[in-house]
Amino acid sequence: MTAMDTGERRRTGEARPLITELIDETTVESVAQEAWISLVGEEELLVPLPGEPVTDPVSSWVDVVGPWTGSVVLTTGRRTAEELTRALLREHSPEVLEDEDVADAFGEIANVVGGNVKAALPGSSGLSLPDVGEAPAVRNPEDVCRADLLWRGQPISISVQGALPPLPAH
Amino acid sequence: MRALVIDDSRAMRRIVSGILEGLGYETQQAGHGREGLDVLEGGWLPELVCVDWNMPVMDGLQYVSAVRSNPAWRSMTIMMVTSESEHTQIVRALAAGAHEYVIKPFTADAIRDKLALLGLLPQEVVL
Ligand SMILES: [Mg+2]
Repeated sequence: MTAMDTGERRRTGEARPLITELIDETTVESVAQEAWISLVGEEELLVPLPGEPVTDPVSSWVDVVGPWTGSVVLTTGRRTAEELTRALLREHSPEVLEDEDVADAFGEIANVVGGNVKAALPGSSGLSLPDVGEAPAVRNPEDVCRADLLWRGQPISISVQGALPPLPAH
Repeated sequence: MRALVIDDSRAMRRIVSGILEGLGYETQQAGHGREGLDVLEGGWLPELVCVDWNMPVMDGLQYVSAVRSNPAWRSMTIMMVTSESEHTQIVRALAAGAHEYVIKPFTADAIRDKLALLGLLPQEVVL
């Protein structure tokens, strides 16, 4: 291998860092915990433990565009997303929750968590408006930092995942 | 005292309005910057505006610039309440004419402390 090859590879690496080189699970967990205390309630703890797979999943996410480009995706069961919405709205919670209420509240949680994940990344990045629905696909399994948490015993995952496929192998 | 709360999330508008009402404010809400300008143009002029950054139609930074370009609205205090926490962005918001900056997630105490610094706590809750 020549010196030039090495330099080339290093430059490529700098241009496309993997999320695992930039943040770790613990950072994602503590960002989420702060968001929960502020939005959901002071006593609301997130326990870093994986739960059973969710049956009726719903996701909310924001996209981060910058030196690292990808999405911060929260996924939980539909019932848990509704419970979160009621916790956020407190006494303003309507008797019957509309899809719109859940999209609004769960989307805002993604906005707050995503904004703070973005702040933990190096350099300057842009943040999209939140989206709610079926989670964007994982493009590169190596470019994912994932925290599996339990809230009131129910699983919630936070996946910080790259938007780009892996670079072709040489 | 009056406060206008501008955020595209209804849940967040309710949280911020709830804190301000607890401090003695009368509040109105708007879902984005353009709606926030409509409130002012309609003649409801608050002492305080709490505005989010990331919103559709007109974002918080555009809103701050629009308010500051109208001399009739010069006395309004603008506080950005946003998950946008990059230092360069905070500097941009302050340069555009925001007075204070609160990063989401925040606590009710954080909002209260900022308002105390700005001299904007309604009289009855000043300790
Ligand atoms: Mg927003």
